[in-house]
Amino acid sequence: MQYLSASSTAGVLLDLAGAAILLLAFACLASKLFNRYVVYYGAQSWVLSFAAGTSAAAFHSTELWILAGLTLAIKGTAIPVAARRVLMARLALRRDAAMSAGLSTSLVAGGALTAFAYLVTRPVLLPHGTAAAAVVPLSTAVILLGALTMVLRRHTVAQLIGWLIVENGVFLGAITLVATFPFIVEAAIFLDIVAGVLIMIVFVSGLTRQLAQASAGELKELRG
Amino acid sequence: MTALGIIIALAPLTGSAAALAGARARFSALALAAGAAAALGGTITLLVMLSGGRPLEGWDGFLYADSLSGFFLMTVSGVTLLAALGSVSYIGAQEDNGELSSFQVKLYFTFFGAFAALMLASLESGNLGLLFVLIEASTLVSAALVGLEGRARSLEAAWKYVIISSLGVTIALAGTLFLFYSASTLHTGSNLALTWPYLLKHAAALTPQSLRLAFLLATVGYGTKVGLAPMHTWLPDAHSEAPSPASAMLSAALLNTGMYAIIRFLAIAHARLGGTYPRAVLLSFGFASIVIGALLMVRKGNFKRLFAYSSVEHMGIIAVALGFGGALGLYGALLQVLTHALAKAVLFLTSGDVSLRYKTREAGDVSGLLAAVPVTGGALLLGSFAVLGSPPFGVFLSELTIVRAGFARGSPVFPLLLLALLGVAFFGFARTITGMVTGGPPRPAPAAAPVPGSPYRDRATAAVTVVPLVLGLTVLLVLGLWIPAGLDTVLAHSATVIG
Repeated sequence: MQYLSASSTAGVLLDLAGAAILLLAFACLASKLFNRYVVYYGAQSWVLSFAAGTSAAAFHSTELWILAGLTLAIKGTAIPVAARRVLMARLALRRDAAMSAGLSTSLVAGGALTAFAYLVTRPVLLPHGTAAAAVVPLSTAVILLGALTMVLRRHTVAQLIGWLIVENGVFLGAITLVATFPFIVEAAIFLDIVAGVLIMIVFVSGLTRQLAQASAGELKELRG
Repeated sequence: MTALGIIIALAPLTGSAAALAGARARFSALALAAGAAAALGGTITLLVMLSGGRPLEGWDGFLYADSLSGFFLMTVSGVTLLAALGSVSYIGAQEDNGELSSFQVKLYFTFFGAFAALMLASLESGNLGLLFVLIEASTLVSAALVGLEGRARSLEAAWKYVIISSLGVTIALAGTLFLFYSASTLHTGSNLALTWPYLLKHAAALTPQSLRLAFLLATVGYGTKVGLAPMHTWLPDAHSEAPSPASAMLSAALLNTGMYAIIRFLAIAHARLGGTYPRAVLLSFGFASIVIGALLMVRKGNFKRLFAYSSVEHMGIIAVALGFGGALGLYGALLQVLTHALAKAVLFLTSGDVSLRYKTREAGDVSGLLAAVPVTGGALLLGSFAVLGSPPFGVFLSELTIVRAGFARGSPVFPLLLLALLGVAFFGFARTITGMVTGGPPRPAPAAAPVPGSPYRDRATAAVTVVPLVLGLTVLLVLGLWIPAGLDTVLAHSATVIG
């Protein structure tokens, strides 16, 4: 399999895109407003689409171009718009008050997870000097930050956004680590995400109608 | 042969088709049962054809079935048949007494059929990426079943289920990526490269570091679906809130599908890394699950949650058996998959009958079942003994095999620990169940006294309730006394696939 070198133009661009995606995940973690979550997620998806385009140009891969387009259309546009129209506007969501930890604590934890991601992935797994060696730690960190968002935020909408950030992290890893992942599989993964978001939106609205506020922290009837 | 594979996966969609065409609950359930029976028949045909040794392959490895897939297909389609038969009376009765609207009934059967079809399809795919896609899709579809009743509790359970499982499966996808990456020295330009038979054949060329990470991530990820502790937290909620036949599907079919995915990763990891690392991972998660499942069972409460904790425990036992390894351990693990699935399907179906009659899911509110409803009470008692591993039922044989495999490995610590934990589980489970089965009817006659009369519209419906229970228990009993030669061959051959 071919590798992009870290010093090639495409490698540098991918690295930059990865860093931007990580920063946007941090921005999400540091925010308290629901519409910010959606804005940051949308922006992250746009950068991800740019990264997929870069990878497509470098590998001359039509399939990756299609994926870049799909990312832009679905993750960058359709999901944020749907989230705003169906969730934010209808449920009148503004401030997210349901947090298990303060913002500064969240950020410190996020920083620690980022360091951990570098520690785990960088030295052993990846050949030096490749773009993957630079980007995979970033994507691992994004996965961990998304999971952290899901853990620290108790509101269902925030958890949904956290899952989507995790998904973006995996996708960033996919386009740099294994640019030749079978296309049908990638396309089907997209389908899953869309179906997942739809079904989650149904549950979130249903729960919100049942409870005054659909905060998972207030979902206390069932205990593990 | 390719056609046979497709028929097996599509057969349960008969239930969805009937429901979408507007059929009533009974007819949809019977259509579903017919589809499941066709899938089961097709699977057995497939297993006979596979005994020649050549696996079923097609479409660049997207379609792949060997005896291991065949064995899981048989388990899942068998459970689907039992659960579909259980739906005839359970959903039928709920439709009659107005607890479910016709829209909910339609939703139930549409998603039930799709759920079964997706699980069967995922067992037939050799492509690990597609495996992820299908398992994630089955999560989404079954979430609708969990949240079917639309109350705050069931929506909460469905939300927990869908969000935790989706996150878990996404982690498994990351594991799949690392597995694919570990194969980067191979020619990975084609779809074939992400199929597990190809990776298994070329295991020597995989990079051990990323393979190790891949196996760990896949075990954590798919382990979330299996309900291995500490990723099990969604499981008791989802199992207790879903309609009982759907709980049977979750516990006896879905968890096993997740286990199948772990087994595929295990085979590759075992071929390259040797036994030590995968064994350590599986034994840790397995024992954690058994401990947590057994301890939670001691508390008395909702009986459907009790069965769910028992599922956590049993999935732990299977993981431990895979960790013990060797021909004996793998044989025991697979046998346990089948016997646990049958026993748990029977238990969840009886729980459906009990909750229809007593209008409660609290074990403390139910007593005198054996006197009031002898067949259900008897099935509950026998099913409980079966699931706890008492002779002469099949679970006894599989657990005995697993313990023997543990001793065969040398150190007696793990098998002895396993036996002790099984004892704790036995105590907790039996305490609750005997309280439900024995004694007279609940004395102060609270709101949860048995509803006078039968919850079923007519005698025929009430009679159908019994069919899956008797069917499941009979097969369990037979498996405890005698393993048919054909099944023995399939199990032994599947064990060699794993390593």
